[in-house]
Formats: sequence, structure tokens, C-alpha cells
Amino acid sequence: MSNSPPTLYLDPQIRDWVLFPITFVMILVGLLRHYVVILLQSPPKKLSRAGIREQRALVRSQVLRATSARSPIPPAHYKALSQHLIDSYEAGTYLKDGPPKNDAPSSPPNPLTDPAAMDSMMAGMKTQMVMMVPQMIMMGWINFFFQGFVLIKLPFPLTLGFKSMLQRGIETPDMHVRWVSSLSWYFLNFFGLNGLYRLLLGGDNSADSSRDMMTTPFASMGAAQLGQPQDFAKLFKAERDNLEFSEGLYTWIGEDIDSKVLRKYGKLSPRSD
Amino acid sequence: MSVHSALQELARYRSQNKRASQETLEKGILVLKKNGHKKMGDESWDLLEQLALAAIDVGRLDVADQCLKQLSDKFPQSPRVDCLRGIRMEASAPPEDALRYYDELLEADAINVAIWKRKIVLLRRTGQVEKAVVELSQYLDTFYTDVEGWLELADIYASCNQYEYSLQALSHTLLLVPQNPVYVLQSAETAYTAGDLPLSLKMFLTVVDMSDNDDSGSFAESTPLGITVRAWYGVKLCTDRMSRDARVATMSASSTLPPKDIDLVNELATERLRVAYSSAGQKGDMACGRDVVFRWVACP
Repeated sequence: MSNSPPTLYLDPQIRDWVLFPITFVMILVGLLRHYVVILLQSPPKKLSRAGIREQRALVRSQVLRATSARSPIPPAHYKALSQHLIDSYEAGTYLKDGPPKNDAPSSPPNPLTDPAAMDSMMAGMKTQMVMMVPQMIMMGWINFFFQGFVLIKLPFPLTLGFKSMLQRGIETPDMHVRWVSSLSWYFLNFFGLNGLYRLLLGGDNSADSSRDMMTTPFASMGAAQLGQPQDFAKLFKAERDNLEFSEGLYTWIGEDIDSKVLRKYGKLSPRSD
Repeated sequence: MSVHSALQELARYRSQNKRASQETLEKGILVLKKNGHKKMGDESWDLLEQLALAAIDVGRLDVADQCLKQLSDKFPQSPRVDCLRGIRMEASAPPEDALRYYDELLEADAINVAIWKRKIVLLRRTGQVEKAVVELSQYLDTFYTDVEGWLELADIYASCNQYEYSLQALSHTLLLVPQNPVYVLQSAETAYTAGDLPLSLKMFLTVVDMSDNDDSGSFAESTPLGITVRAWYGVKLCTDRMSRDARVATMSASSTLPPKDIDLVNELATERLRVAYSSAGQKGDMACGRDVVFRWVACP
């Protein structure tokens, strides 16, 4: 039994008929995935006027608060604006469906019943299907056809723990871990072709498998967040509190501007403090 | 001028957002005649749009129609082409037709910003100012951060002599762009016209503070330039009126208090204006109008 690495000699036909085909097929599948995702993407949903208004309503108070400590507008104007926004947020005039009509507490839109949320969740799930299905098919195909023989010798050493995974189907307790089966070549390609995809398809491509690894575990949470994210009523209430807080911080830059300018030009003696 | 250099010039106009309509038209006609734009690929559509706008500006509606036809053949449902078509319609058809066209488009797609803005402008241009104000207010309610929209609203109010409302619109502008002294100056002058002198004075002083940045030496020895001079004029006007008429000094719609040392401010303004008009110009001449200014500041 030859178990010293340099003496194991592989049939060159293995290289021609397994190594290159697996790589070639994976590249093609990756390209296919990329274009299928592009075709499947539906155009982003357009919001109605009220929807956009609701989305941007927070900007008004943020703009007001951003300059609150050195505000360009006099106190009367600032307080009027601030009060107006507080009242509007309280009454919910910026909400998409108008202010709540009765005492029923407004609940965040349920993702299952809100059609807009459903659409975006479906879109997310569709792309994930496209990502996962080719992977499973490929693994099945490799397991079926290319099982039971050693394919390559890895150029880097590994610990014994990898033996069971990388040499599946080859029951040899003594063979060095560097000799691996075709399934491990699949995994190597899986992670390694990202660079090639980036070269061929540009940076933001959908054939990139590393993105699958990251998104799949978080799919359910992400879908729930992206689908119908914000409960605007709650956000408005929070913003109301922020506005009241900022009112306390407010100063007008024009407050003592006359003394400041006089001092600047030497008409008034500089302050002693 | 060859087609190639014409194309280069037009591309330069596009990148600098320059609106030299007559030159654009001349170069564009040259390009169109030789069909030079067909080889440009994707940029040719930008060129056609630019040329169409220039042609409408100058009045050559036939050239505009040519460009518009090519664009609408290529992009049948495009909102951008619709906007161009609307502009072309405004140039020749009666305004009601254009208005109806815009209304149709807005019904189909309520958030087409370009069309909404054109509708507002058309309403203002045809004199339906109340409707224009209503539409513009709705627009700004949805798209709060459009600074030009707020400026347009302020302009409309000022043109109807409603200076308090104009001031309110300008205060939104100031919130959005607080670092621009030109808008503060506009607010100061609007406040002055509205009769709120203490507020106006404080805003003029704010402009002075913002715009006069002389790093070398002390401020007292520097010469005011540019927008600062205009602000000093404003300060002088305010302080003169306020010291003459105490009632005006205390009556402020925004409850702004008058400054404590109003005479000192008046003196400072006088001195600064004298300095502004005393410095020798580039050719060594004295500023023209110097005598007029000196006489005015001495006894307004």
C-alpha cells in the first residue's frame, strides 16, 4: 500500500475527464445563475405620492434638528415649525393612510397580509432558490458520477479531521489527507471561482457564492425586515420626543450677533472672559 | 467646424451644464445634417435632448421636432421623453393643452417629479398663481428637501407682496442650506420689506459675520468686498430707520429684540461703507459713486 505522497500515481485520464469538466461546468452554472437572477428581478415597486411623503416625513424634523444648536432661524419661527411638526407627528397626518380614524391602535403592517411586503419577500426568496438549487444539483451530480476515487493532491497539508469529509467514498485509513475526492474539488472550486466571476461579470454579480453563505442563514430575518420594515407611527412618535429634546438645545445664531460683530470690528472692547 | 469638434464642444456644454442655446443649435444642426450622432452610441440620446431644448429656446421648432421624433422612436414610454414633449407643446400649443397633457401624465404616475414641476411652472406662467402655490406647497410637502422649490415659493409670494409667507418659505431654505450667505441675505431683505426691522438687522449682521473672512490682520482694517458690502448697506438702512423711529425698532413680527448698542452699529456700518468705497480699484481709480455713497451715509 503506497501511502507516501510522492509515489501515488494518478491516471491522467482522471485529470482530463473529471478535473476540467467539473471546473468548466461550475463556471457555466455560475454564469447561468447570474443571468437568471437578472432576468428574474422585477422592477422596484413604485410608491404612491402618499407613500413617498410618508417615507420622507422624517427628513423634515431631522433637517430642523440638525442645526438646532446654532439655528439660522429666529426663535419664533423655530418654535412654530417645531410645534407644527410635533402636532403632525402626534396626529399622524404624514401617515400613508392618513391619521388613525378611531381609537384602534395602529399595528405594524403584517408582512403576510400587506401586498407590498409580500412582493418583496417573494422576490428575495426567488433569488435564494436560484442560488441554492444549482448547488444541490451539482453536488448530487458529482456524488453520483465522480465517486469512489482520488482526484487530486492538495498542495497544502491538512489535519486528519478533514479526512472523513474530503475522502468520502474512499475507505483507506492510511492515505494521506492531501489526496482528496472530487467532492472536495467541487468545494474548492465553489469558493475559488468567486475571483473569476468578479473578473468576468464585474463586481456585483449574482454568481458569487460567498454571498449565499452570508445571506442564507439570515434569510428569514432579512425578509421580515426588508419586507415591510418600519412602522411609521412608532417612528413618528420617537421623532416627536427628539423634537422636544432639540427645542431645549435650540439657540439662534442671530441672538447676540450685534455684540459679536461690534467686538469683531473693534467697536466694543473684547469680553474679559 | 468639423463634426468631431462640434461633438466635443457639445459634450463639454453638457458636462458643465451650460445653456448656450444659439451655439448649441448651430453645432447641433451641423451634427444632425451629417448624422454624426449615430456613431456616438448611448451619448447620442443625451445630445438629442440637449439639442431639442436649445432649439426650443431659440425658436427653431422644426429642429426640436426632428430630435423629439428620434428620441420617441427609441424610447417610447420614457418619462424623460414625455417631459420633453411637454416642453415642446408649451412652446407652440395653447397652455391649456399642455396643462391637460401634464395632468394626464400625472394621473398615470403621480410622482413624476419633472412633470409636476413643469406643471407648477406653467401654472405660474399663465397667471394662475393660487393654483401654482397650492401645487407647489403639495410638492414641497412631499419632497421637502428641494431647495429650489422653496426658493420658487418664496419668489411667488414676494411677487404677490406677501412677504411674511415669503420669509417663512425662505426659513425652510435656510434650514436646508444654512451655510449659504446669499439665502440669508435674501431673507434679511425680505424681512426688511415685510417690516420686521430688528430681525432684518440681525440677519444682515449674520451675513457680515458669515461672509467677511479676512484671515490677514484684524477685521477693523480689512476692506469689505462682495456680498458683505450689500449686507452693510442693509445694516445701515435698518439702524437709520430704527434710530429715527423708536416704534419701528420695537415692533417685530417675530418678537426679535432690537440691539442694545444701535448707535455703535450705525457708526460701524457707516465706517465700513466708507472703507469699502475708498480702496483703489485695479487701475488705481477710486470707486465710482464714491461721492454719492459718502453723502448718503453722512445724512441718510
